[in-house]
Amino acid sequence: MFALSMIGSIPGVKSAVLGDLGGALVDALREPEGEAMAAEMAFLGATVIEAGEQLGLGTLQRIVLAGPTSAAVVVVWDRQIMAARVDPPRALAGVEKSILAAFKQGA
Amino acid sequence: MDENLQGLFDLAGVNAAVVFDGGGKLCAQRGKAVYDRALCEQVAGLMARAVDSIALQDEGWETATAHFADGTILLRRVGAVGGAAWVLGVVADAALNPAFAAVALRVAANKVKRALEASMGLAPSASAVGLGGSGVVPQPDGAHGSGALGAAPRPSGSQLLGPPAPAAAGSRPVLANTGLSWSKVSGSGMANVAAADPASAAFLQRCARALALGVGPMARFYVEEAVRRLCPEAPFAMPQARALCEELANQIEDAEDRAAFLAATKS
Repeated sequence: MFALSMIGSIPGVKSAVLGDLGGALVDALREPEGEAMAAEMAFLGATVIEAGEQLGLGTLQRIVLAGPTSAAVVVVWDRQIMAARVDPPRALAGVEKSILAAFKQGA
Repeated sequence: MDENLQGLFDLAGVNAAVVFDGGGKLCAQRGKAVYDRALCEQVAGLMARAVDSIALQDEGWETATAHFADGTILLRRVGAVGGAAWVLGVVADAALNPAFAAVALRVAANKVKRALEASMGLAPSASAVGLGGSGVVPQPDGAHGSGALGAAPRPSGSQLLGPPAPAAAGSRPVLANTGLSWSKVSGSGMANVAAADPASAAFLQRCARALALGVGPMARFYVEEAVRRLCPEAPFAMPQARALCEELANQIEDAEDRAAFLAATKS
């Protein structure tokens, strides 16, 4: 199983949750609303996967959410989903890169 | 409206560009042959659902990028126009330059917003999309209120999100963004979900979050439905809070979750 602590140690990652595409929470790190976040991210992941299938885009790899006050990176693999909140949002690009590198190491 | 997407569509790697509202109704579309209107309409519904769940996590979201093995879906919030929340979507392949796409999306979002305002006979908003202009609702008097998707027109000079003034008999309440649907017009053409004041809006958000722990990501929709049942004609206000909580609690099967929900929403 993927170690969430590895993601949590990346500078700029405020909190993270690990769940499955069914919405169940597997693990949470510094996230007070882990269950809700896991469920909502799974719903997002499942919906986007369905859109991607209809558009012929292949396997969903990640979703990046950005705004002026918050940002998040959601990674999907092997029916699991990991969502990390990024703070400050301007660190998003660097955090996304580090998360992808961590996934490559962990895989 | 479709011509506002042409600049975006001309960008290398872009295969389709769409504009849809919070209910998933397609408003404009430009796409290569394979991405015809029927397919885009179908996908717009899914994208709107995705946007709903993004808003649950972060109401202030601006862009969402979904990376697939063979392409990308980019979403950019256009903002609120005419009581509905609008989103611009792009389907692209690996040839897309992300930096160029970000600029083109912002430009297109501004064009789309202006076109929507013009088509609805609204005064153009001064602020641009992506520059703090999200959620701006043009008012009939040319003033702008922030964050109140679906807000009703207000008398000139009144404060949209200021302290609620004592309501005079027969006067319209000041509406605030509930942060739920986010006051979009639903695909079924039902009335907006609106709150009478910021406190009521905040309460609805609290309900949705608390309910999500018990029923999952569909919580927001349950809250919307309950609000529509409880106050079909008027905006939701705090006097209906107790009835709303009871209504929602009845939808939680697990007794422990139900008790936790009631405790979390106790005001």
